[in-house]
Amino acid sequence: MTGQNTVDKLVSKPYKYGFVTDIETEKIDKGINEDVIKLISRKKDEPEFLLEFRLRAYKQWLKMKEPNWADLKYPKINYQDIIYYAAPKKSEKKASLDDVDPKLLETFDKLGIPLSEQKRLSNVAVDAVFDSVSIATTYKEKLAEHGVVFCSISEAVVDYPELIKRYLGSVVPISDNYFAALNSAVFSDGSFVYIPKGINCPMELSSYFRINSGDTGQFERTLIIAEERSSVSYLEGCTAPMFDTNTLHAAVVELIALDDASIKYSTVQNWYAGNEEGVGGIYNFVTKRGHCRGKRSKISWSQVETGSAITWKYPSCILQGEKSVGEFYSVALTNNLQKADTGTKMIHIGAQTRSTIVSKGISAGKSSNSYRGLVQIGPQATGARNYSQCDSMLIGDQASANTYPYIRSQQPQSNVEHEASTCRISEDQLFYLQSRGINFEEAISMMVSGFCQDVFNQLPMEFAAEADKLLALKLEGSVG
Amino acid sequence: MKTECLEWLEQLPSPDGVLASEQLIGRESLRNLGLPKKYSEAWRLTNLKRIEKILKLPLAQSNQYENSIDKNQWPEIPKDGVRIILNNETNYKTNLPNGIRFLSNDDIKETINLSHQSIDETNDWGVSVNKACNNKLLALKVDGLEEQSLEILIPSQKETLNPSRILLVLGKKAKLKLLQVIIGEGKSSNNNLIQIHLDEGSELNHGLICFGKNDSSLFTQACIKQNIDSKYELNAIQHGWSISRFEPRVFQQNGKAKTKLNGLQISSEKQQLATHSLVNFNGPEGELEQLQKSIAADQSHCIFNGAVKVPKEAQKTNASQLSRNLLISKAARIDTKPELEIVADDVKCAHGATISQLQEEELFYLRSRGIDSNQAATLLLKGYCQEIINNLPVAAERWQILNQIIENLNK
Repeated sequence: MTGQNTVDKLVSKPYKYGFVTDIETEKIDKGINEDVIKLISRKKDEPEFLLEFRLRAYKQWLKMKEPNWADLKYPKINYQDIIYYAAPKKSEKKASLDDVDPKLLETFDKLGIPLSEQKRLSNVAVDAVFDSVSIATTYKEKLAEHGVVFCSISEAVVDYPELIKRYLGSVVPISDNYFAALNSAVFSDGSFVYIPKGINCPMELSSYFRINSGDTGQFERTLIIAEERSSVSYLEGCTAPMFDTNTLHAAVVELIALDDASIKYSTVQNWYAGNEEGVGGIYNFVTKRGHCRGKRSKISWSQVETGSAITWKYPSCILQGEKSVGEFYSVALTNNLQKADTGTKMIHIGAQTRSTIVSKGISAGKSSNSYRGLVQIGPQATGARNYSQCDSMLIGDQASANTYPYIRSQQPQSNVEHEASTCRISEDQLFYLQSRGINFEEAISMMVSGFCQDVFNQLPMEFAAEADKLLALKLEGSVG
Repeated sequence: MKTECLEWLEQLPSPDGVLASEQLIGRESLRNLGLPKKYSEAWRLTNLKRIEKILKLPLAQSNQYENSIDKNQWPEIPKDGVRIILNNETNYKTNLPNGIRFLSNDDIKETINLSHQSIDETNDWGVSVNKACNNKLLALKVDGLEEQSLEILIPSQKETLNPSRILLVLGKKAKLKLLQVIIGEGKSSNNNLIQIHLDEGSELNHGLICFGKNDSSLFTQACIKQNIDSKYELNAIQHGWSISRFEPRVFQQNGKAKTKLNGLQISSEKQQLATHSLVNFNGPEGELEQLQKSIAADQSHCIFNGAVKVPKEAQKTNASQLSRNLLISKAARIDTKPELEIVADDVKCAHGATISQLQEEELFYLRSRGIDSNQAATLLLKGYCQEIINNLPVAAERWQILNQIIENLNK
């Protein structure tokens, strides 16, 4: 079938974002120990409490073991062979964008993230993180008018220490898991968002993460706080250059929603996935968790996961406030030798809490794609409801699709429903579309797009179109 | 934890009889395994304290059999039916109907070796305990085209550990209706391993009733190997054990076989009942239909873990799994976890799970017809159980299962 040729042709299509920016960077020595942590903290001029936080986390990390329960097999990571801090030289935050190294601006331009505000048409504020530091945050002033704080976490530590002290580590404690502990010890930069009472954030907020150095781990930390009756939509994008070595990315994201607040967090993850033989690529170990503390609060995760050699990621919601709502919409695509073990946790604590899970997994090539999710209804969650749906699509007979939904209920006055299905791109459907004059490639991308529609509908406009294209590109020709 | 297991192994009698080699295998793997551990996925939810107690029980002695078993509650054997009682050696020599015969020792060895190659997982704790301490084996072969029926009764002696093993071979196109009844008594533990080989075109309707009492516990494994065109239907009911764990494992050797697994667990008081099933397709065009139901009352806990594996060879597999759970008390708990691992791309695999209480609308409907709320709830629970109980072989009716369940739930 003609498909097979196109497979080879298209799968070998280079990763678009695989270039390296040739920029002088300041790196510290490889390895992790207390001195390295103190050095990072000193470089960032951090207050004492944060250094203590880091050291406590480090001690905890030393006591912990790397988890091995996920369906992911990868060579042992040597944590002493990683650089924990790298920053472009002359990277001090400048008053205006004109002072930022033009090479950096060029990099982000190439990635389609224009930082210069005059060039921007859409109403999106961007925080761009390059290796370990935040390069620029746009639209800060305009946001400040509304009282919205959007800055890098390093700035927030200096400017809003009381907020950081109160909320950092309150959703994902340092001892939560191995990678969260590591992140808490060495996190470098990330975004901080604070939405004051009663404010609907006037524009979309967005972070863009770029790993540039091959031997540097990226450990960003994001903290979003939505006060009573506020709302915000936040987007996150990631890319990395192509290296033969594996790079570690261990991020922590914490969301806090108080009474009647709502947070929408969308991710398009396109880290470098390694080549067809599985050489190189990012190891993506991420802990994302939202805490619906307030009554009627809402946290919604939507994600499109297409990159990374290894993905280990379970964006979760702790539904504590009465009538709070958690949502999780995910498309995870794996190709070649990628491995993904991803899903969500919905922990219902409060009464009449509701959650919805829609997960679509697409496995192609020799990849393995697992959905692992937990729905837990606690004894106090009277009237709680959950609906979960996880569908898998298999492309080719070398890929595997696994589903492991964990369901636990301790409350009779609650309802949990879970359903799942597996399907493939069938010859009949392909034939039908082709007989209508639609070519092979387009027909497949149309079907995949239709399969993922439930999730794409949840993404912000600009992202949805991008995600659709991304999937089409990643998949083109992988049906033989 | 490991030392307790070693102590237990030391006090076992030295290997003997046709199962001597199996005993050595079981003991060896237990030496490596020790007791189940909390951090292993398969035992995460199990109340391990209750398992430790099991190994403290002495082994049941067959000469004590007559004194320690209460036969009064057993229904009479129908005139043309056959009942084999396990754990009582004199009873092994029952007159079997034409078409069913005991396997010779040579046949037994051969069949056991065959099993080793496929589904008997040596690192399974329950299987290893059975192998280590059991010397009672009932080995049967069914031949011919006529449909046979059989009842195997496995009672427990009080305050002892009762291991037993059944080997059942169905020849080409043979048909059997098997009712297996396991009964628990105070502080006893029952550990049964049944291995079934289904040859081409054979059909087995397997009913399994496991009724415990008081502080009794149960470990039972069913390993089923299916050849092409065979049909296997299991209806398993678990009720009343302090702790029970049922592990059906089906292996469709070359695909193209039909498997139907139905399970019902009803837990009350502080009981913990678990079903861990595994269906492994090893060839194309296999079919699976699985329905697992649980009712958890009082402070009890029901667990279901249903694994389905569809490797590359198993194209055109059609598998469906449904787990339906009723939580009827505020202190009860239900854990359910389907587990699907799929590599073949041209397959239909669906699974679903629900947890809820009795439906308000259904109760209202019955009450508006003049049925009081207790009766209405009972009626709905009966209907819920009936879906599984109705599929049991006819011989099961004499055991009056439904009445006993409802009686216990209404206590």
